[in-house]
Amino acid sequence: MLPFQEQIIADLVDDPNGGVVVLSSGLPVHTLVASLLLLHHPSQGSLLILSASESQKSSICRPNPSTSHNPIIPTDIPSDVLCHRRADLYSTGASYFITPRILIADLLRSRVPPSIAGLLILNAHRLTDTSTEAFIARALRSLSRTSYVRAFTDRPHAMVSGFAKAERIMKCLYVRRLYLWPRFHVLVSNDLEQTPPEVVDIRVPMTPAMREIQKALLETMDACLKELKRSNKVDVDDLTVENGLFKSFDEVVRRQLDPIWHTLGKKTKQLVSDLRTLRKLLDYLVRYDAVTYLKYLDTLRVSEGVRSVWIFAESSYKIFEIAKKRVYQMTRADGVRISIDRNISISKRRKVKRDCSKKEKESEAVSAKVAENVGVALEEVLENAPKWKVLRVTERRKESSPKDGKNHVGGDSNDIVLVVCKDERSCLQLEDSIIKSSHQVMRQEWEKYLLGKAELHGLCKHIGKRSQDPKGYGVLDGTITSGSSENADPRCISKLENVAIFAAASEIRHTFINAKPIPPVQFYAIDKDEHVLDIWKPSVIILFHPDTTFVREIEVYKAENPSGKLKVYFIFYEYSTEVQKFEASIRRENRAFESLIRQKSLLMIPLDQDGRCIEPSSICEPSSVVPQNSVTRKAGGRKIIEKEMQIIVDMREFMSSLPNILHQKGLRIIPVVLEVGDYVLSPFICVERKSINDLYQSFASGRLYHQVETMSRYYKIPVLLIEFSQDKSFSFQSPNDLGDDVSPTSIISKLSLLVLHFPRLRLVWSRSLHATAEIFVSLKANQDEPDENKAIRVGVPSEDGIVEDDVRAENFNTSAIEFLRSLPGVTDSNYRALMDGCRSLAELVFLPLERLAELMGGQKPAKMLREFLDANYPTMLQ
Amino acid sequence: SVISSSQNRNAILVSHRQKGNPLLKHIRNVKWAFADIVCDYLVGQSSCALYIRYRRMLECAPVNIPIEANHMIGADTSGEKVDDSSLRYHLLHPDYLYYRIKELQKNFKLHVILCHIDVEDAVKPLLEITRTSIFHDCTLLCGWSLEECGRYLETLKAYENKPADSIREQTNTDYLSRLTHALTTVRHVNKTDVVTLGSTFGSLSGIMDASMEDLARCPGIGERKVKRLHDTFHEPFRRAS
Repeated sequence: MLPFQEQIIADLVDDPNGGVVVLSSGLPVHTLVASLLLLHHPSQGSLLILSASESQKSSICRPNPSTSHNPIIPTDIPSDVLCHRRADLYSTGASYFITPRILIADLLRSRVPPSIAGLLILNAHRLTDTSTEAFIARALRSLSRTSYVRAFTDRPHAMVSGFAKAERIMKCLYVRRLYLWPRFHVLVSNDLEQTPPEVVDIRVPMTPAMREIQKALLETMDACLKELKRSNKVDVDDLTVENGLFKSFDEVVRRQLDPIWHTLGKKTKQLVSDLRTLRKLLDYLVRYDAVTYLKYLDTLRVSEGVRSVWIFAESSYKIFEIAKKRVYQMTRADGVRISIDRNISISKRRKVKRDCSKKEKESEAVSAKVAENVGVALEEVLENAPKWKVLRVTERRKESSPKDGKNHVGGDSNDIVLVVCKDERSCLQLEDSIIKSSHQVMRQEWEKYLLGKAELHGLCKHIGKRSQDPKGYGVLDGTITSGSSENADPRCISKLENVAIFAAASEIRHTFINAKPIPPVQFYAIDKDEHVLDIWKPSVIILFHPDTTFVREIEVYKAENPSGKLKVYFIFYEYSTEVQKFEASIRRENRAFESLIRQKSLLMIPLDQDGRCIEPSSICEPSSVVPQNSVTRKAGGRKIIEKEMQIIVDMREFMSSLPNILHQKGLRIIPVVLEVGDYVLSPFICVERKSINDLYQSFASGRLYHQVETMSRYYKIPVLLIEFSQDKSFSFQSPNDLGDDVSPTSIISKLSLLVLHFPRLRLVWSRSLHATAEIFVSLKANQDEPDENKAIRVGVPSEDGIVEDDVRAENFNTSAIEFLRSLPGVTDSNYRALMDGCRSLAELVFLPLERLAELMGGQKPAKMLREFLDANYPTMLQ
Repeated sequence: SVISSSQNRNAILVSHRQKGNPLLKHIRNVKWAFADIVCDYLVGQSSCALYIRYRRMLECAPVNIPIEANHMIGADTSGEKVDDSSLRYHLLHPDYLYYRIKELQKNFKLHVILCHIDVEDAVKPLLEITRTSIFHDCTLLCGWSLEECGRYLETLKAYENKPADSIREQTNTDYLSRLTHALTTVRHVNKTDVVTLGSTFGSLSGIMDASMEDLARCPGIGERKVKRLHDTFHEPFRRAS
């Protein structure tokens, strides 16, 4: 462990209360957790680790080479462990990973002993004062006053979104210490900069086509932003194209628009989603090869076609055109090109370093092929991603260096080259492009593309003289320029010592053609989020898609292994949004830390005598829940709440914050699995809760109808709770969006229809979670308490009679069940049988019709399902 | 004017109490006529509606005017009438709604309370109205503009005999929307991804049988979506048996 990490641990252990640790992204949270686990002793009670992602779990469990200790490997407390077994586990004193939902259910059911040592909460930036973790912290605090809460996050910028977020998180966890560890912290930078790795910055120019697409995209984005500004709904200052490059831009826009989201017109909403699409397109421009990019654009055109605004913008036409030109062109029979691509490629070449220019005649990836006997033919251009070539060259360089550099250690492990990309897809493609040749990879993509188009052409009988023209096949059989040419021309402008690299590159080029054995190259996708450096111990890292987090990981890795040699290559596209993004992400983090430091100096955390935090807003004034007109009826205004009120809550509802708020209100929460409804307030009142989004969705899926139907069957007062969000507007839509006539798709029509068909259904309109809690309390006054056992049994098919364990939701692949139930032929009555008949959806695919009919109780639904599964996807690309 | 009873059947009947209510201007798609009825609006053979309106406190008459006088102002034809259904009135006469409901005498299958909310923070009075509606067998509908309230009335009338098909699970939609519907139940999967998946794997079986690597090769399908899709298809329905 590095000295700064030891300091973090020491700070944390110092305060028996715990604290929140905010690290720069990329600094290792998992080693901190692992060493806290080492310090943990069973006599202190059990240690529970909350909200760890799968990858975090595995890196916590992995032995750390820099420490000699064996790691304490915490075990998962899975949901299928029976409840009383879990109660035993809690008192063993070991450490466990646990999901918030299980823990809160156990806390509410008093299965957790007060001897718990404390909680470690990862990803603290996701917490809010209404999240389950906060609920747990409060429940734990009332259980035991000595246990600590230690929370970690490495997303500082997520800690500053919203008003005083850090402070609110600390309050809800009842901790009063905030530890900030930015990369620019003295201790951190000392540790990391002692033996910095050797860094080479390679700036690759984009091809003119890419540049033009980028320009067009930015223009389109600008146009969309202007349009958005014109709506007068947003604060103009934040809306710049520059900000638009970041994911956080969506947050900014959404935060501004959320309160009025339901009142916005279709166009404004579309603009917001268009901006997201455009940002993706910018991102993919540097990540995907030309063919894939075109393919993606095609899909976009099909899926967004009519709705989106941007597709109709002038510059977006350019995007499609140029994207196409990067892949293929039309030629006339005499071989004269219709476009101007040649000029572009020549002018491009002028920029190339002189020693490369003699290779000019070896064209990039252009293989011209004209079918002489046809009128119009396709010519493939297949522009290669410039980075691929650079990678190849860098690759070679790496390979050659151990040979001429005699001072090199030469051990096998040192030879590992790690190529780091953003996603798995790029990894696979790069791997191919190195093993084969980049041109071959492009051809493969191209063939796939053409085949796809040709196939749909046959299906749609669409007549056109464009790419899907079967004549395009002729091209595939044609000769291609030999394999030697495409790796010939690096076309790179190097800035620093890259000159040397390219000098070397031009040498190696010839040797490469002989297909020398490839050095051990590993590929790694950042998205995978594993800590690979310790495993592979690379000596060379090529960052194909630069990413701040990974850069930090490299730094830490290097600092932990100061003796090993490490060379890092950054490959950037010059003047691209990629560079901008990388630099701005660092700036953004620094700004976040500066703001956190400021906030820390102004923290207002109320403390009680023991130095503990005081509950934020404890049970609020009971007067608010006393109905106005009933005051006089209560003899002398006698206090009404004598015994504890209780509410039965469906386990699935713990995804939302309502149980937490109800608990705050002093209600007893009984978590169970309900087949009907979400909340049972009394023997008569059952509530189905719908947030606005849920409401729209479940109307669309028809699920709501079904839910209301069963609720009406079993309860005297079935209630549909329509819950608005506090920070969104309290209305469905603006009057302008209402339309002129009664339309079957409008929410008003759907609600009216529901109400007409279920006259007994009661609607509750709630402004916010808190309002809901008040309504619940008010409705419960004068009502009997609900019966837990009865509520559980309601609606459960009587044949399987056994009352299932309370964590049923955890035991099922809910996403798969949801999917299954959305398939044609599958109904509420037969999906259980299907689940019994096959293990997973993948198995379902192979069930023959007869078996399906058997399971689904009929030929008709079985046939419907089978046909749907096997139906050919109608290709609609043009 | 005399309206025959057959016409009445196709029209919303409006109580004379509602005379002057600007809401009436917004009932345009369905005919309406004044009639001697107990409820405010008769929107069907067996459904009736009462209208309650929140008023912006500031727009109300000065506080020191006694309620009777206020009511008188309301009766003036030039101003907006029906002040007796406003929030202010409701706060002063909490039993108003209760008596109106009692008047209806449960003669209808569906009793709607149509509440026009035109103040932002209406939590407390709304809570009261909610309570009353729940314990006195009324269905509460909320509108945030006169247009919306009018539309509710129109729709209730227009849909009087409409079957619930459009809000039940659909059975007869086209292949693509069914496929989209199914695949988008997996979180984070969007319409563009559906097109990508469909055209890459050819059929739903193909998609469900695809390997992680194949999924990862689709443009636009990132690590997270790949994992979710793959988990959905390959993880067993029942995790623990």
